[in-house]
Amino acid sequence: MHPFQYQRTETADQAVAAVAQDPAGTFIAGGTSHVDLMKEGVLHPSLLVDVSGLPFKQITAHEGGVRIGAGVSNTAAATSADIRQRYPAVSEALLAGASTQIRNMASMGGNPLQRTRCPYFRDPTQACNKREPGSGCAAIGGYNHVHALFGASAACVATHPSDLAVALSALDARVQTLGPDGPRTIAFPDLHRLPGDQPHRDTVLAHGELITSIDLPAFSGRSHYLKVRERASYAYALVSCAVALEMNGSTIGRARVALGAVASKPWRVTAAEALLAGQVPTEPLFRAAADAAFADARPLEHNAYKIPMGRNLMVRALLETNGLQPLQGPAGTAFAASVGGVAGQFAVPR
Amino acid sequence: MRQEAPVTLQTGDLAPDCVLPDGSRLLALRGHPVILAFAPEAWDPTRAYQSELFARLTSEFGNGAAFLDTAAEEWHSLDCHGTLAAQFGVAGQRALFLLDEHGVVRWKTVVAPGQPLRPGQVLAALEALHAPAPATRETDASGGGLSRRTFVTATLAASALLLLPGCTVSADADNQRADAAADSAGGDSTLAVSLRINGQTHQLQLDPRVALLDALRENLHLTGTKKGCDHGQCGACTVHLDGQSALSCLTLAVMAQGKEITTIEGLAKGEELHPLQAAFLRHDAFQCGYCTPGQLMAATALLQDQTAQLGSAVEIREAMSGNLCRCAAYPNILAAIQEVQRA
Repeated sequence: MHPFQYQRTETADQAVAAVAQDPAGTFIAGGTSHVDLMKEGVLHPSLLVDVSGLPFKQITAHEGGVRIGAGVSNTAAATSADIRQRYPAVSEALLAGASTQIRNMASMGGNPLQRTRCPYFRDPTQACNKREPGSGCAAIGGYNHVHALFGASAACVATHPSDLAVALSALDARVQTLGPDGPRTIAFPDLHRLPGDQPHRDTVLAHGELITSIDLPAFSGRSHYLKVRERASYAYALVSCAVALEMNGSTIGRARVALGAVASKPWRVTAAEALLAGQVPTEPLFRAAADAAFADARPLEHNAYKIPMGRNLMVRALLETNGLQPLQGPAGTAFAASVGGVAGQFAVPR
Repeated sequence: MRQEAPVTLQTGDLAPDCVLPDGSRLLALRGHPVILAFAPEAWDPTRAYQSELFARLTSEFGNGAAFLDTAAEEWHSLDCHGTLAAQFGVAGQRALFLLDEHGVVRWKTVVAPGQPLRPGQVLAALEALHAPAPATRETDASGGGLSRRTFVTATLAASALLLLPGCTVSADADNQRADAAADSAGGDSTLAVSLRINGQTHQLQLDPRVALLDALRENLHLTGTKKGCDHGQCGACTVHLDGQSALSCLTLAVMAQGKEITTIEGLAKGEELHPLQAAFLRHDAFQCGYCTPGQLMAATALLQDQTAQLGSAVEIREAMSGNLCRCAAYPNILAAIQEVQRA
């Protein structure tokens, strides 16, 4: 690990000023992803500004919705009764991710900012434009089974690993930030970038811009998160899907659907959403929506399996959200979110 | 059994013969200067960050690169917990010895607690190889040169030691002097870190890079917390931070200040085992035992967590999925947890 300066700050203003004045400075909160990448030699900040002591640790009612402080742990957010009951997709996404220990450590502000799990990004001996701009992309001609179907570029085909981000995108959460130029609000679907020719920039955040809270807007529909992975538990998604569904009598008022692990950001499938609106929910409708969602998928050499897997997952997520098919476990738990996995093997009490 | 108190070899002493990790005898290296390095970690040239340090030392050494081959077959470092370290009187310590072509210690350093070895020290040691031998000894032609073996050994030694962020504890007078000297030499600074562990406060002087896991094991010798993967994937290093399970390998020690840290050493009350420890014994919930401290810390945190959902075996399995057991004692671990739950 490269040497760095460590600074603990008591106010957000101090933290922002400290990072802003050092081009190689960065914030650290839970550290679960950052410390790992520093150990791997992938990241080498010259300054770590510790924001874990800042007063962003409350979950509060806000404009008919819920405001989650950026310093709230993933565990605390996932197990909050407010979130579990009103936004089960958020609890499901959190609890189907990582391990108990990591969820205890990881912050809500940090989770959406974790870096890609592309193995070439994580190996400093490999070419990676995200890690080292201009060095090339070893994944494009390499083993790219976990890589993107949508929005990739000739410079980068990495996907975003956060489960939480997928749920937040479907719920149109808003991110509150404080930057060198003051506070601003970012619609969650606009937080992450497509790689283009600058894949080293994961998000639209400016250098020194700190997430202070995540706001879940008022929502009275149903939400759900579903995830396929290589192991029963404690694995990143191969494909995932978050649904936020509002009914209008017997027809769908509004459906929002985001796919995970298929792009460098949670992939909102707006064509499918438009197709669902105003319709009576049925399996054929959901299948047509899933076909529309994956119509412009561009598979690489090893990840075409994600297309049928993703289509089926999206259909199932819509069926389960709508109640046409039962959840695999209690709403708001890892079991509801897991395909195959633990939930498929064991009876879960309801 | 009576044990001799270990005596650290001093400058001018003849090094005892011993077997090196590659099987060769130190005696057989007479005629060449040799640098021996003791450190707790193995040198792994496939690690990029180690290679980078290696490259830096190589470049500082000018034409050294000409005879250097990173694919060399002789990568090894000396385990500071091994018998060799005991023979040299530096068991458990990071240390560097420079032997001349006669096997006499010409220079040595025991790396001060809280301090990494700095490249300058290593380069100075290498320079010393070129200095005239003590007048009482004759120098043979090969003595002044720098063999590939020496260079490689020295480089890996330096790298291994450099990688080790600060060690130990207690700012005793010696350490403070060493720290002051290091700081005035323009070294990267260590920080005063106060950790509350198992109810006791410990004052350490640490490089900010030091993970809580390493501070526990290397500085405080609380070796019950295990280093498995060191990357947050196995759970062997699990401790409690303010009563919740956390991975000490991904926690910077400096960031654990102000938290109540509990390690496996703090779980039993004196000789009275924690109920889960007793249940692990009854249920034979381990084979090799390496993951056990982490399993125990993860499970005890869950058992006291009111929000954790542990109503069924599947829920316990899910909640414990961050703790791997290569011996696959999972059914027994589960049975032990359920027994304590029912009690």
